[in-house]
Amino acid sequence: MAANAKAIVNTPLLQGLKQLVRSLHTDCARLSSFRSSREVQPLEEYPEVEVLHNPPEWKYVERLLPPRTVPQPVAKPAYPSGWKPQTATGQESGYFVARTKNHMVPVYLNTRFRGQRRLTIVRLIQGDIWALERDLRQVVEQSRNGKLCATRVNELSGQIHIHGDYVDLLREHLKSKGF
Amino acid sequence: MLKFLNKTRQLLYPNVRNLSHTVTVCQSNAATESTTTTGKETLVSKPALILPQNYAEHAPVSRSTARQAWIENVDAVTERKVGLMELHPDVFAAQPRVDVIQENIEWQRKYRYVSMAHTKTRAEVRGGGRKPWPQKGMGRARHGSIRSPLFKGGGVIHGPRSPTTHFYMLPFYKRVMGLTSTLSVKLAQDDLHIIEDVEIPTKDAQFIRDLIQERNWGPSVLIVDKHDVFPENICYATDSIGYVNLMPAYGLNVYSMLKHDTLVLTVEAVKHLEERLLYQLHRNDAASKQTKFKLDQV
Repeated sequence: MAANAKAIVNTPLLQGLKQLVRSLHTDCARLSSFRSSREVQPLEEYPEVEVLHNPPEWKYVERLLPPRTVPQPVAKPAYPSGWKPQTATGQESGYFVARTKNHMVPVYLNTRFRGQRRLTIVRLIQGDIWALERDLRQVVEQSRNGKLCATRVNELSGQIHIHGDYVDLLREHLKSKGF
Repeated sequence: MLKFLNKTRQLLYPNVRNLSHTVTVCQSNAATESTTTTGKETLVSKPALILPQNYAEHAPVSRSTARQAWIENVDAVTERKVGLMELHPDVFAAQPRVDVIQENIEWQRKYRYVSMAHTKTRAEVRGGGRKPWPQKGMGRARHGSIRSPLFKGGGVIHGPRSPTTHFYMLPFYKRVMGLTSTLSVKLAQDDLHIIEDVEIPTKDAQFIRDLIQERNWGPSVLIVDKHDVFPENICYATDSIGYVNLMPAYGLNVYSMLKHDTLVLTVEAVKHLEERLLYQLHRNDAASKQTKFKLDQV
C-alpha cells in the first residue's frame, strides 16, 4: 500500500501538477529557500557531463582562489593609500622595526580601564631598543610641547609602551624614517 | 631530491648576497676538488651540497642575521663536512623568547596531567549519622555528626577532588613562537647539527655511541627526519640506547628539544620545518587558528 502511494507521489504527472499549483500561488514559493528549488530527478533526466582533469580554463579558477600566504607587495612609484614600502635596514640608526606579515608598521593602541588608560605599543623591534626609545620619546614630547612622557621598554620581547595615544604620530614618524 | 635542490640556483636576498657569492666560490672549489680527488676516495667524489635559501617568497623579518650551518655525514664515525646550508633567519635566528619557551614547557606538562589527589567530604566519610550527644544539658559544645570537618577523622572542606584535569591550549602563535625560539636557541648554543640523511652503515649500537663520542654530541641526542619511517639500520642501532631517540618532523616539540642536549636534523627535515613554520608565520587565514579551542574541532 505504502509503495503504491509512493509510486503515485513520484509520477511525473503529480510533479507537474505540484509545479502548476505553485505557479497559481496557492502554495507560497519559499524564495531563497532550498525548498523552492526543483526536486531531484532520476539520473537519466540530467544531461551528460564530461569529467576533465587539468583543463586549460582552470587557471581562471585559480585566479579567484585566495592566496595561501600573504603575497609580497607590488612595487609602484606611489601608493594612493599612503602605505610605503620599507626602505631602512637599520644599519645607520642601530635599531630596526620590522614590518608585520601584512607589511604594516607595528604600532598599536591598547586601551584599558574603560578607555581611561591608552598605551601606544611599538612591536617587532630589533637592535638597540634604548636608542629607539630615546628617539620616540623625543618625538612624543615635542608633540606635547615639551611635557614629559612615560615609556616602558621590554627588551626581551622587543616592545616599547608609551603612555598616551600617539599611534598616528609614531606610525608616520617610523614611516618617514623608512621603517 | 638533494641533488635537485643542489642544482637549483635561487634568487638570493640582497643582504646575503655576500654569502651567496662565497657559496658559489665554495661550490666551484668543491667541484675542482672533487675532480682532483676522484681517484683517491669514492666517498668524496660527490660534489659538495650547497643549499642557499630562497628569500623570494618569505623575506626575512630579521635583516642582518642569515645563518648557515654545516651538513655532516653519518656514513662513517669520522666527521666530514658534506656541504653547507643557509637557514631561514625567521626560523633559526628568531628572538630567543625564553618566556614563551617556558610557557610551552608548562603547557606540555600540564595539558596531559590529571591530578588524582582526592579527599572525602563529611558525607562520604563512613558513619556520623547519629547526633553524638544531646543538644543541651551536657555542658559540651553542640554537634550533629562526628564526621563534621571540625572533628578529628571528619570530612575535609574544599579538598582536592579526583580526577582534576589541567588541560588547556596555549594560543597557536605562542606554540609556533616556542618552536622557532627553541630552534634558534639550539642553533645559537651549537646544539643543533644537520646531517645529510639517516642512512648509517650498520645495525650496531656501538657505531652510534662512537659517532656521538667523536662528534662531541650529547649526552642525549634527538634525531629528527622528515618521515616517520626510519631506515632499518638506525632503528636497530638506537633501539637499545635510551639516550638516543628518533622522531619525525611532525612530532617535533619544545619539550623534547629541551629534554635532549643535542638536536640532530636531516636536511629534508630542516627544509620541511622551514616550509611549515614559514607558512604558519605568513598564512593569510591566521585568524582561524587564533579562535577558541573546541574539543570537537578537527
